[in-house]
Amino acid sequence: MKYLFLALSSVLAIMAQMIAGNNFFIFNFLDLPLILIAYWALYRSRIQALFVGSLTGVLLDAVLGWPLGFNGFGRTLAAYLIGQTAKRFNVEESWIRFVILAVSSCASSLSIFALFALLQRGVNPLFLGASLAQAVITALVGVLIFVAHDSYRQAHSGKAS
Amino acid sequence: MSLEIAPKAAEGRATWILIPLLVFHLALISMQVEDPSGMSLFRKSVLSAGVPILSASAAVWRGAKNTWGHYVWLIGAREENERLRAAVRDLTLREYALGQLRGQNARLLQLLAFKQAAEFRTIGARVIGRVPDFLSGVVFVDRGSDDGVQKNAPVLAGAGIVGRAVVVSRQQTQVQLISNADASVGAMLAASRSPGVLKGTGGLPLRLDYINNTEQVAAGDVVVSSGLDGIYPKGIPIGRVVKAQKGKAVFLDIEVDPFADLLRVEEVLVVLGIDPEVPKQ
Repeated sequence: MKYLFLALSSVLAIMAQMIAGNNFFIFNFLDLPLILIAYWALYRSRIQALFVGSLTGVLLDAVLGWPLGFNGFGRTLAAYLIGQTAKRFNVEESWIRFVILAVSSCASSLSIFALFALLQRGVNPLFLGASLAQAVITALVGVLIFVAHDSYRQAHSGKAS
Repeated sequence: MSLEIAPKAAEGRATWILIPLLVFHLALISMQVEDPSGMSLFRKSVLSAGVPILSASAAVWRGAKNTWGHYVWLIGAREENERLRAAVRDLTLREYALGQLRGQNARLLQLLAFKQAAEFRTIGARVIGRVPDFLSGVVFVDRGSDDGVQKNAPVLAGAGIVGRAVVVSRQQTQVQLISNADASVGAMLAASRSPGVLKGTGGLPLRLDYINNTEQVAAGDVVVSSGLDGIYPKGIPIGRVVKAQKGKAVFLDIEVDPFADLLRVEEVLVVLGIDPEVPKQ
């Protein structure tokens, strides 16, 4: 059941990205799948986060019309980085999560850029600049979402007790 | 603010899952991305990865094949070589025998033509032996009295006179060649019909005696049997004049080269009779 939820959440993230990005320009710089990956890595299982990263990446490639695997490779790598960082460090602080999200977003973009370069496919020079902007905005929004999530759970756990 | 931290997985497990996932994505990309030649990177990578394995296996197979071809199989090749050599020897012998048969056939045909043109009965015979003394001028043939051969029977070859039977046994005959020092043949010049006597010299050429100095004799003139000796039928070719010059007496010194190859004759005709009657001695 959890794997079904894993897959469903991945699809919903992609759809939300497409809808939001179509209507609000700012969402073109927001990486919702990455936030989902970070959620799985921080709050659920690092192993499952890897699969979320793979699935969302492949779905994103399909949506973008790229050869399948570019974003899958990058998102899987990002999921791994987030998971390993969370295993070794205390990630409770928001600024740490901000850094983690930003670095993992940059790592994902850089890996895609490297794959493009290795396969001698043309890359838009604005890609790196846009990737940097995306990393900052995604990290900021991600941190806010996680803070809201934590507050919600704390409020509910407090009511239960 | 408390925060539930995700339960820690087993150490290194995420790494073991990461690597296959990354490889999977790379494979996925390579299946779709093509190089300038139109071949997908995945196929190209598989082929490239397989080249060392294929090269190694080909080298091993080639080594085994060479070992087989240069050593093990050669055992069979040696036997086949010996068998083929034996076959070649056999064929060479057969070819030689066929050559002999061809020559014999030609001689027999010549003899047959001579026999058919002659007006006497003959029987074919084969030279089965020669006296080792070259000057003796004697050969042995495989026909004898059982075949109707009688003493003094003329012996001919396809080209001309060979000699006469001197000793006749039941199944073989000793023939005196016309080159024998004791042999003589009643002969004449075919053109002028001048009679003479052809005598053996123990070798070659033969000598034609008793031709007058007045006769016009030139090299190349044909000499035939005159029939005056009562042995050889008239008109049978004997030889050709090779030299004619005036002698010390009234006769010409004439040398004659026989038509029959007296040194190599192998098949002959023995005359059994002229006009069905056997010549009396």
